[in-house]
Amino acid sequence: MARSTSKDAQALFQSLRSAYVATPSSLKIIDLYVCFAVFTAIIQVVYMAVVGSFPFNSFLSGVLSCVGTAVLAVCLRIQVNKENKEFKDLPPERAFADFVLCNLVLHLVIMNFLG
Amino acid sequence: MAKFLLYITLTISLLPFLAISFSPEIPTDRRVLVLLDDFAVKSSHSLFFDSLKSRGFELEFKLADDPNIGLQRYGQYLYDALVLFCPSVERFGGSINVASIADFVDSGHDLIIAADTNASDLIREISTESGVDFDENAAAMVIDHTGYAVSNTDGDHTLIASDDLIKSDVILGSKNIEAPVLFQGIGHSVNPANSLVLQVLAASPSSYSANPQSKLSSPPSLTGSAISLVSVIQARNNARIVVAGSLSMFSNRFFRSGVQKAGSSTKYQKSGNEEFLTELSKWVFHERGHLKALNVRHHKVGESDEPSMYRISDDLDYSVEIYEWSGTSWEPYVTNDVQLQFYMMSPYVLKTLSTDKKGLYSTSFKVPDVYGVFQFKVEYQRLGYTSLSLSKQIPVRPFRHNEYERFLPAAYPYYGASFSMMVGFFIFTVVHLYSK
Repeated sequence: MARSTSKDAQALFQSLRSAYVATPSSLKIIDLYVCFAVFTAIIQVVYMAVVGSFPFNSFLSGVLSCVGTAVLAVCLRIQVNKENKEFKDLPPERAFADFVLCNLVLHLVIMNFLG
Repeated sequence: MAKFLLYITLTISLLPFLAISFSPEIPTDRRVLVLLDDFAVKSSHSLFFDSLKSRGFELEFKLADDPNIGLQRYGQYLYDALVLFCPSVERFGGSINVASIADFVDSGHDLIIAADTNASDLIREISTESGVDFDENAAAMVIDHTGYAVSNTDGDHTLIASDDLIKSDVILGSKNIEAPVLFQGIGHSVNPANSLVLQVLAASPSSYSANPQSKLSSPPSLTGSAISLVSVIQARNNARIVVAGSLSMFSNRFFRSGVQKAGSSTKYQKSGNEEFLTELSKWVFHERGHLKALNVRHHKVGESDEPSMYRISDDLDYSVEIYEWSGTSWEPYVTNDVQLQFYMMSPYVLKTLSTDKKGLYSTSFKVPDVYGVFQFKVEYQRLGYTSLSLSKQIPVRPFRHNEYERFLPAAYPYYGASFSMMVGFFIFTVVHLYSK
């Protein structure tokens, strides 16, 4: 068993990629968007660790805007995913409208807190 | 006629100045009541009284049991200072008693007490009220078998030549008193916990307090340099008291007598008594060591008006003028140890004030990053000087909402991230809607 770990990992990756290729492109776009937000948040945390936490409100609003965006995008992805049976009664248009409204509120708050 | 009228108006307008007495502007005492056991003291101690008179004091001599004496009339004090040269008085005449003397001192007036052997309980009580305790043995005197003054008659060594003076220019003057001070009388002790009492003339380590006529059966209660011969007290209201255990040390005989300390070959033509007691009387009657502070000012750096409030991390200037009374005029007080506290329950800023040698003390500092109600405090207490205690309250407020810095360079990455999220949201919306 211990001998074949790298092979197993490769097999795991292969199956993951082949499964992901089957994902609809609209969901892939959402994933990309989430990755972008998380990556920006990580950059800011590293910058804060280097420079110091002085304009702390700015740091918080910068990071929370990224995290909030990512969370809202994940919520949208759950709701528009056709394979997800839980939200099959919810039309994707309604989910998208919710997403836009929440984003507007989020960015309004962020602008006020950015200082 | 016109000339006469002019004189009248001039006299009336000068009246407030003629009726000069103890006041904050002129702190030196003027009217002194001297209470004596008998009027012989007036002539036997005339050198001391003359030196006071020549410095402008109005002395009023009364017998201590005179029924007409009083310190007050119609609620006003008649005198600025009281001299008790009446060691044996059992009861004062008139309205004077221990309580009225304590009130006299409590209202800022000065007192000289001279006790002597067989001092009465009344004088002991007044001294105890002032913070010194005379030896309880009524017949005791201070005896020193090594530090006595050499005299023709081989005495009992109760005439002491003491040179253990306090080292303080403000109390004893800047001139060094070289000749020993003659003393014959009773000793007292001061409570070491009492910071207001100072030993000015201490007995030598070899002295003790006992009855010279009888054999010493038990160890004396007071020994060594714990015995104080002359002490001074400066109360918190700057009233000053001198307590001496000897009336004869003020006498002409002691002032004029030569002195030679036992074991020492130098013989002085004149004892140090006159110089010592004259300088001490200058101090006790506020001719020296009296400070006043005025013109406390503070303002922001670059402004001249005093604000009603400061903001945190404002830069401010503080200045105060301190003068010392020289007996005739207010002279600039020059020192380098006046400190200012910016105080809110504890000093947040403690700065030594710098002086321009003309009485003006100033400093500048930054208000700490704490808001609340602060005080500018100057607490100046130095040996022999009257204490200065100034405080001025000032509130300190935090930044107003529009006084914070904006668009800090350090925060640009955060701004950028927030705006890129908004742009990203917009692009994502478009892509999401049109990618079907």
